[in-house]
Amino acid sequence: MSLGGLVKRFDTKLAVAGVSLEVPAGSFYGLLGPNGAGKTTTLSMAVGLLRPDEGRALLLGYDVWADPTAAKARLGVLPDGVRLFDRLTGPELLGYHGLLRGMDAATVDQRARELLEVLELGAGNRTLVVDYSAGMKKKIGLACALLHAPRLLVLDEPFEAVDPVSAALIRDILQRYVAGGGTVVFSSHVMEIVERLCDHVAIMSSGVLRMHGPLDQVRGDKSLEEVFVQVVGGRVATGSELAWL
Amino acid sequence: MTGKVGAWPFVRLKLRLTANGLRGRSSRIALFVLGALFAGFFAIVGYSSFAIPGVADSLFAAESALPLGGAALVLGWLFLPLVFFGVDESLDPARFALLPLHRRTLITGLFAAALAGLPALATLVASAGMVDTVARLGGPAAAGVQAVGILLGLLLCVAVSRAVTSAFATALRSRRSRDLAAISLALLAAAIGPLQLAALAGAQRADWDTVASVSRVVAWTPLGAPYSIGLDVAAGRAWQVPLKLLISLAAIAALLWWWSRTVESAMVGTAGSSTNRTSASTRSPVDLLLLRWAPRTRFGALVSREIRYWWRDARRRANLITFSIASLFLPISLAVSTSSPGGTTIFVGVLAALALANQFGFDGTAYAANITTGVPGRVEINARAVAHAIYTIPMLLATATLIAVLSADPARLAGTLGLLLAAYGVGLGLVLPLSIRAAYALPDTPNPFAMSSGGGAAKGFLTLAVLLAGVVVSLPLQLIALFTAPVWLWIGLPAGIAYGAAGYLIGSGIAADQLDKRMPELLAAVTPNR
Repeated sequence: MSLGGLVKRFDTKLAVAGVSLEVPAGSFYGLLGPNGAGKTTTLSMAVGLLRPDEGRALLLGYDVWADPTAAKARLGVLPDGVRLFDRLTGPELLGYHGLLRGMDAATVDQRARELLEVLELGAGNRTLVVDYSAGMKKKIGLACALLHAPRLLVLDEPFEAVDPVSAALIRDILQRYVAGGGTVVFSSHVMEIVERLCDHVAIMSSGVLRMHGPLDQVRGDKSLEEVFVQVVGGRVATGSELAWL
Repeated sequence: MTGKVGAWPFVRLKLRLTANGLRGRSSRIALFVLGALFAGFFAIVGYSSFAIPGVADSLFAAESALPLGGAALVLGWLFLPLVFFGVDESLDPARFALLPLHRRTLITGLFAAALAGLPALATLVASAGMVDTVARLGGPAAAGVQAVGILLGLLLCVAVSRAVTSAFATALRSRRSRDLAAISLALLAAAIGPLQLAALAGAQRADWDTVASVSRVVAWTPLGAPYSIGLDVAAGRAWQVPLKLLISLAAIAALLWWWSRTVESAMVGTAGSSTNRTSASTRSPVDLLLLRWAPRTRFGALVSREIRYWWRDARRRANLITFSIASLFLPISLAVSTSSPGGTTIFVGVLAALALANQFGFDGTAYAANITTGVPGRVEINARAVAHAIYTIPMLLATATLIAVLSADPARLAGTLGLLLAAYGVGLGLVLPLSIRAAYALPDTPNPFAMSSGGGAAKGFLTLAVLLAGVVVSLPLQLIALFTAPVWLWIGLPAGIAYGAAGYLIGSGIAADQLDKRMPELLAAVTPNR
């Protein structure tokens, strides 16, 4: 994935101010940033959900805005803060995504069953997705993104609201996927997960990329959290305020 | 720190939300201005109509017109939100659930906020025409009493609309009671239908004494009571005034009490009943999704998903139910009042298509899935239209049958169906591009009648404008049908299908092109602000 000078303004506010990022093929890339840093906006522009005011996004060499069909066919997305078609059941939702991707029905059935079993969502579960717990919704969203075996996965906050067991399972799936040659880009504000999984990281704040590169290079001899706080700024301790609490 | 909270903060919050909703969004401002123009138009027409009896100096005419006109206002407030407009839920009761507010404070506040809006203002101005009439007939004292009356009438209108929509929303929300709600809605409409028929039949005979006696009865019901008290003073029956005031106040109090009950359940019960269907299915995922006859392709998946959504989504279901009732009762009422139900046919056909006016708004952010999978605009638009037609065409067939039976002329069935299909096709042709250019976000509340804040009425008026346009575009066919009546029996169905198909093809082509160019913009338009 290659982003070149992406800019997005909302009304007068500059949400993303020229982000350029090279994600090497086969890497596990973590995008870090505090709330409101522009992570979701950047990823939305990268996958074709939000039209950038300037700049361009190449996915595996295909421009997502000039040649969306080719780019999107090779891409799996788990957006954050976006509803699924949640009045379908889990199996129905996977079937829907599979057929929309133009896959043949037999393959969809076989993969969907396998994903539902592995993610412990139940292949015969007839609960509507709207009644799923937050963690289950993340898992079914991930299953939808994986179904067509894309070469690039863009995941926005994949570990938010996921319980520890499921998180370990998702980590394992993603690690195997990268080992098999896939590329993962995901955003998070949980340092531990990024430190454990990623080989590359980028730190964003106020719509600007502050640091990016291989994990060891960014981290140096400090912990990732120390680097993050140092780069982003902000206070991490209280003084004499809140004495009434 | 719990001070006394009055109604004023709620009104300010509502106005502030409306203003913020408009800020910096020129399309919304345009819609709002349009809505204001319509409201102003309604206010002027209403005022002058209600002032006519006074100008004509006819107490008799006034005694017929005022209570009946007032009752029409109240009924309008009752039904228009259900069918067309939705309720402005910018102050969603659920948002106040965590605040330490008494139920009485909350209801007073929400009620006051509901009064602060264009529709209420327009109604007030329109009914002020009654004060004008009463002043000419009975002098300042009578006019003063009537002024109190129209204020009470306005409170009644708003209370009726709030209480009924809130009750319906509560009923339709839980999946378990949806069937019950559908039945009660049908019963309500069934009760209105015959009443309307009787009124129209009466009006047709143009017997003014009958109208006057109906009006005298209506004046003693809550519908007409507040609007008739000024006249009572003018006619020297001042003793009736306290009784009618009592009737009106009791009705308002009862409605507010009912509303507060349903609001309370809306505040606590949003989680809904998760009927966990444990019986696991052994069918494959694709078979579960697809309807039996649907092709195992992208198109089949889209159509099947849409069909399931028309039933599973409370908003869409409410839409279908209200349309099916309207499609049955409009032809009945108009067939009885006039000899030619042709105008109605076209109206019903276009009305059917209106359900798709904000089809992407129903999906909300879920539409992102179709963007990331790269569904072409043409497939998307056609699939959605097909899914809707699968529900609509049987209903149109039922309407056509009903009209043929009512007019005691079964041979008309084919021709009428032709007109209906033509109007439906033309309506789709108009509505589909609109659904992409004028999509708007629906709030994430489970209330199927809720609209987002800001220019809610304006959006309703926009759909009304489309309705009018659809009727106008279908008019040529209507005229042909009228002039070639004997031949129309034979060519009606094919000609209607051809006309409708042409309308659909043009409109859907435009819509598909626009969708291909505007997918991200459309997604942004239907994303609720958080």
